[in-house]
Amino acid sequence: MNLRITLFVLLFISYLGYGQQPIKGKVVDENNIPLMGASIVVANTTNGTTTDFDGNYTITVAKGETLTFSSMGFKTKQFTVADATTINITLIEDAAALEEVVVTALGIKREKKALGYAVQEVQGSSLEKAKEPNLVNSLTGKVAGLNIKNSTDLFQSPEISLRGAKPLVVIDGIPDRSADIWKINSDDVENISVLKGATASALYGSAGRNGAIMITTKKGEKGRLTVTINSSVLFQPSFIKVPDVQTVYGNGNQGQYAYINGLGSGSEGGGWIWGPKVDQLNPSTASGFFETPQYNSPKDAAGNLMPLPFTSRGKNNIKDFFQTGSIQTNNVSVNWGSDKASYRMSVSNVYQKGIVPNTDLGNTSFTIGGTLNPSDNFKVSSNLTYNKQYTDNFPEVGYGPTNYLYNLVLWTGVDVDVKDLRNYWREDQEGYQQRHFNVSYYNNPYFQAYEYERGYDKDNVFGNIAFEYNITQEFSVKSTSGINVNSLNRTYKEPKSYVGYGNKSLGNFTNADSKYFDIITDLGLKYEKNFSDDFTLKSEVAVSNYYRNSKWASTQTDGLNIPGFYNLANNAGASYIASNREEEEAIKSVYGFVDMSFYNAFYLSVTGRNDKVSTLPKENNSFFYPSVSGSLVLSSLFDMPNAISFAKLRGSWSRVSEGKIGSDPYSYIQAYDKGTTWNGKTSASFGSSLLAPGLEPETSDTWEVGANLRLFNNRLGLDVAYFEARDYNNLIYSPISDGTGYESMLLNGDEYKRKGIEFVLNAKPIETANFSWDMLVNFSKFRRYQEEIYGDREQTEGFIKVGERTDKIYADVYQTNENGEVVFENGFPVSDPYQRYIGEDDPDWTYGITNTLKYKNLNLSFLFDGRIGGLLYSTTNQKMWWGGKHKGTVNQFRDDANDGVSSYVAPGVKVVSGAVAYDVNGVITNDTRVYAPNDVAVNYINFMQTTSNGHTKNYHYYKESFVKLREVTLTYNFPKKVLDQTPIHEFSLSLIGRNLWLNSDVPNIDPDSGVDALQAPSTRNIGLNLNVKF
Amino acid sequence: MKKYSLYFLCALFFTVSCTKIEELQDDPNRATSVSPDLLLTNIETKAFDNVSLNSALASRYLTFTDGVNENQYYNWQQASFANYDNIKQVHKMIEESKNAEIEVYAILGKFFNAYFATELTLVFGDVPFSEAVSVEKENYTPAYDSQEEIFLKVLGDLRSASNELAANDELILGDVIYDGDKTKWRKLINSYYLRVLMLLSNKTDVASLDVIGRFKEVIENPTKYPIFSSNADNGVLTYVNIQDNRYPLFNNNSLQTAYYMEASFVDRLKTLGDPRLFVFAEKTPTSSALANDDFTAYDGLYGSAIFSDNAAKAVAGNASRIAPRFYNDPVNEPSLLIGYSELQFILAEAVARTWISGDVVVYYKEGIKASMTFYGITDSDTYIAKSEVQLSASNPIKSIATQKHIALFLNTGWQMFYDQRRTGFPEFNVDGGGTLNEGRIPKRWLYPSSEAINNGTSLSEAINKQFPLGDDINSQMWILK
Repeated sequence: MNLRITLFVLLFISYLGYGQQPIKGKVVDENNIPLMGASIVVANTTNGTTTDFDGNYTITVAKGETLTFSSMGFKTKQFTVADATTINITLIEDAAALEEVVVTALGIKREKKALGYAVQEVQGSSLEKAKEPNLVNSLTGKVAGLNIKNSTDLFQSPEISLRGAKPLVVIDGIPDRSADIWKINSDDVENISVLKGATASALYGSAGRNGAIMITTKKGEKGRLTVTINSSVLFQPSFIKVPDVQTVYGNGNQGQYAYINGLGSGSEGGGWIWGPKVDQLNPSTASGFFETPQYNSPKDAAGNLMPLPFTSRGKNNIKDFFQTGSIQTNNVSVNWGSDKASYRMSVSNVYQKGIVPNTDLGNTSFTIGGTLNPSDNFKVSSNLTYNKQYTDNFPEVGYGPTNYLYNLVLWTGVDVDVKDLRNYWREDQEGYQQRHFNVSYYNNPYFQAYEYERGYDKDNVFGNIAFEYNITQEFSVKSTSGINVNSLNRTYKEPKSYVGYGNKSLGNFTNADSKYFDIITDLGLKYEKNFSDDFTLKSEVAVSNYYRNSKWASTQTDGLNIPGFYNLANNAGASYIASNREEEEAIKSVYGFVDMSFYNAFYLSVTGRNDKVSTLPKENNSFFYPSVSGSLVLSSLFDMPNAISFAKLRGSWSRVSEGKIGSDPYSYIQAYDKGTTWNGKTSASFGSSLLAPGLEPETSDTWEVGANLRLFNNRLGLDVAYFEARDYNNLIYSPISDGTGYESMLLNGDEYKRKGIEFVLNAKPIETANFSWDMLVNFSKFRRYQEEIYGDREQTEGFIKVGERTDKIYADVYQTNENGEVVFENGFPVSDPYQRYIGEDDPDWTYGITNTLKYKNLNLSFLFDGRIGGLLYSTTNQKMWWGGKHKGTVNQFRDDANDGVSSYVAPGVKVVSGAVAYDVNGVITNDTRVYAPNDVAVNYINFMQTTSNGHTKNYHYYKESFVKLREVTLTYNFPKKVLDQTPIHEFSLSLIGRNLWLNSDVPNIDPDSGVDALQAPSTRNIGLNLNVKF
Repeated sequence: MKKYSLYFLCALFFTVSCTKIEELQDDPNRATSVSPDLLLTNIETKAFDNVSLNSALASRYLTFTDGVNENQYYNWQQASFANYDNIKQVHKMIEESKNAEIEVYAILGKFFNAYFATELTLVFGDVPFSEAVSVEKENYTPAYDSQEEIFLKVLGDLRSASNELAANDELILGDVIYDGDKTKWRKLINSYYLRVLMLLSNKTDVASLDVIGRFKEVIENPTKYPIFSSNADNGVLTYVNIQDNRYPLFNNNSLQTAYYMEASFVDRLKTLGDPRLFVFAEKTPTSSALANDDFTAYDGLYGSAIFSDNAAKAVAGNASRIAPRFYNDPVNEPSLLIGYSELQFILAEAVARTWISGDVVVYYKEGIKASMTFYGITDSDTYIAKSEVQLSASNPIKSIATQKHIALFLNTGWQMFYDQRRTGFPEFNVDGGGTLNEGRIPKRWLYPSSEAINNGTSLSEAINKQFPLGDDINSQMWILK
């Protein structure tokens, strides 16, 4: 009674006194569940309160004032106080700021805020529109610290590195050590979670030492039956980078060219493109142009080749030969789910037509997946995928006559028209001799495309089954089991007269088969208990078994009898060239972890694992390693300024050991190799590396700290991670004196330090009812240092000293004087007997910036990414200078050389007296050289053939920096009201583009792949995507 | 429900956990021990494979037009220690021979060990030998032996190999050179012994080596120390038309497009009217209409000429390529470790040097004849009778070296270069204005740069002892002094 009176009095007083009124009410979420701890603040004052356990609150406030209701993970709501004294508020969940749950090691879902290490996610939905044939390519620029180097060639896997090392690929919790990403269809991907450090993936054991890319596939969702059709087509109509070659001079050498028989010798000029000028006017000939015998010359009555005009008829060779490539992707999936079960089936087909004629790639997948919950305490989920990758022919890469660019661009003069080469057999020699202007060094590109076929046919089956059974409230037992199976058949059809590097084929057929199987099974006991609201504990102990078996066999003919008949029975040789391999490997492990949470603000996780492996000597094949990580959510512990929505600090430490040496499970066994078989007599030889006794696993210790801050109601988020890893006890092939008879000794030694920093910035600069702008920026940097060299040596064989970066590049260079001027003798540069430092390989920064703009039903998303710094060796550029195709070689000196005049005086000096002496490390010990400017004129053509102009081009190591417009998607989602008339539930149409624009200083090539061994031209991909949901 | 699921879980687990780790720890792909004959075959294919384009450039047989070549223009740098791998194979053969309680492979091992060590020291000077390939003693930084020590050991090993082989009655299997014929092996070892002694012709005053005395000992005891008596005894690897067993330059593209005959060599053959020219070379493109045996149809590029002059001459069609058989014939000619012809020239030189008695002209002519027979030329008498071919009385060593040079065309590895380095004959031109070592022919190669890092102390010691000016391609090694 008293209380009631007091309350009344108080209310009355306040009403009278301040014009204020007490307001009470309840804050709930959309499901009517009370929200505890939601804050209620009177706008522009410090007056505020929070809700209690049941979501109730009271606050005193004046009429007309505005209350702001907010709670973590919910959209903020404002309410202006009028007459009502009870204000019940329903807060709407803010999807962006939900308690983010991510998939961590072993497929365990954890709250993101509880993690002590860096994890970044990519949603499957962001991958389903502008698709790449390989899923991993689509991750480029989307994850900080994940560096993906994309190849321009068809069916070439990208190079993946996470914090500078190759991560483990995990599909639905099952490690896929075969790391064949081509078998995963992006339509089947629910999300991808990148576990960046060793701590994050420590539970995977040694395989997880370098982090993991966790791919979770779709398993069906609760809800009505839906059918989704996702279809896209991309065309490759143009190039963003293609070698820009000179079209002024043709085939030949020293300005001379006359075809004899295609062998390249004498007046054919040895295959060089240092021939006469094309399109030279000559009034004395019938055509009015300079004429000379060419490969397609008709013969006169006496059988002599008649001269033909030497013109630039091959100016459009690149355009004429390459065709428009395309990528077609079709996926149909069916999804259904109830409380007890859910199910999804999907069929996908990707067909890529290469830019090289007669090359393609097919990729088909069937996937079924689902979950069953027959009772409250039993859950089963599974997935099974069959995938087939198939092509009758895809291009060979790398420098040499097996490369299309080599034959088409680098080593064909503009005087040859590729269109004329479509008829690629020499008359009367069909099957035996290709028709080309040079048949010693080069292949007719059409001959190569239609006759030299490399087939690939791979069947993949992979899947998993996971069970979980709750024995009591706290205890449950779980098991996961997964398999990866594949069989691959590869064929190589080599026609007669096909030119390899340095030889001509007798015709050959190779058939290679491999079979692969691995199975991993984990069985664990889980204990979970919420002791109080302030303390929860989750823990698990498990045993794990991994077994892997692979077999490989290859048989090759030694020449073919019947040309073009590719069967082993057609062997022309006395015997086959055959080999095979078999590998078995197993790991038995015990592991466990404990995750603790205190006050929903402090999280601690401890893991441990012991592996016993078959890939190390028996005495050292069992080893243990732990990890610990923690996270502190500051914003839950302390009152934070309004601007700060969330703040967290995290840290972790782990030790992970690896017990496998390279890819061969038997590397630790010293044995004989097969030697040369001579005339049927087999032989043996002993390998070049020696094994140290007592090999142990190699180990990495990693620590990492990070912070996550979200501001302005989550509209701005920043995540920073810094890590350092110490790699020690490395299993290295340490070089030893060749005088020992061995090149190296396999031992535990050397030590490296890796460190890096990663920034992830999320922003939503604009958000209105109709328009929003989202931004994601990734920035990362990584370095590796030599901390110790085995045997206390001064430097490694790569000249790296202790404390230095390991990516320093030393190259063969010419001698220079103290002013850096090149030293010449007889007009040619003098080689330095020792390799010299010319820069570093790794980029300084790798970055990606994604912008997503939404306006009503329109959605525009575009991604820029690239790298800053680092060097790249360009074979294409070096060979262009060397062979005579570079535009820079079009000059007066070249004309002089064509006229037999040596006019080129390279800038630099010559030695007039004195000498230089070096110590064994190449350090100059005595230098009495006296110089004068180089004044010896040499033949320009010979100069370029000898130097490739390397000394003026940093020996063809170019700065790798680039920025690329990687991906653009413009989507129109058809409005609901339009679709209501139809059976279609959702319908979207997108204009998609990939690899659209490039800016870089490296001439003639796309630096994206990080290597250039004469890469295919980089194509621009443009197309459409259609997504329909019934 | 509960029961079944538990059973199921356990069953699943145990189906895959039965493999024992230890059962997987044997390599099914490689053998941990082999019989010694398997190693012999491999060692033989390495030791007898002596076709080297680089040596043909340095020895002025051929020229190269696809860029300034360091062998042709004499500015080479480091060479490799790869022969230590071969020495290791020999050690392994000896080890497996002992394991199998057979002696004969260990005896042959002495020869191969001596052969590979000699090859190494001829390239560099002092090299690791007594401490080389002794990892079982945990010696990973072998000291360098002086050339005197090396040759002393080499000569001793060769002599005991010959003697022990004579007393041995075991079978030699896996022998792709002599198919187990021990007499021929003894002939090879003793003939090679004479070559090594001749390489030491500047060291006849070194008492420990006793070069002349050893040479005499062999010549005077033909039963105890048989030597080659015809081409049938040649130490050759005969190529076979099977992949990996073909003539190493078969189908080689550069040989067809970028290599041309060397002019001073072609001119010498033309001056001598030597029909071997037609076996070595092809007519120049501009002379293709002439008869094959027309000497005027052949020309070459001058080894030391300015590169562009050579390139221009080749493009103009005025240079001969090597004979097509070198790239068209998968069998072509066998590769020689040492042949009867070379032995005759060694004997001729020994007579000329008055180490042994005998008729220098007989050995000289027999050497020429053997070479012509090797190339399938049946009529050598006409050539041998020519006045230009007669042994010079005033400078017999020059005549012998000139004929030896012709006989070793693109064969027997770097032997001709080493002989020229020793005697100065025949002269290798450096006067064409194109050479890059200040007009000098290098005397040796630099030690591999990896030695500086992996065996630095031993290397520095060896360099300081031999070459006051440091590791240099123009320094004289001990045997040349």
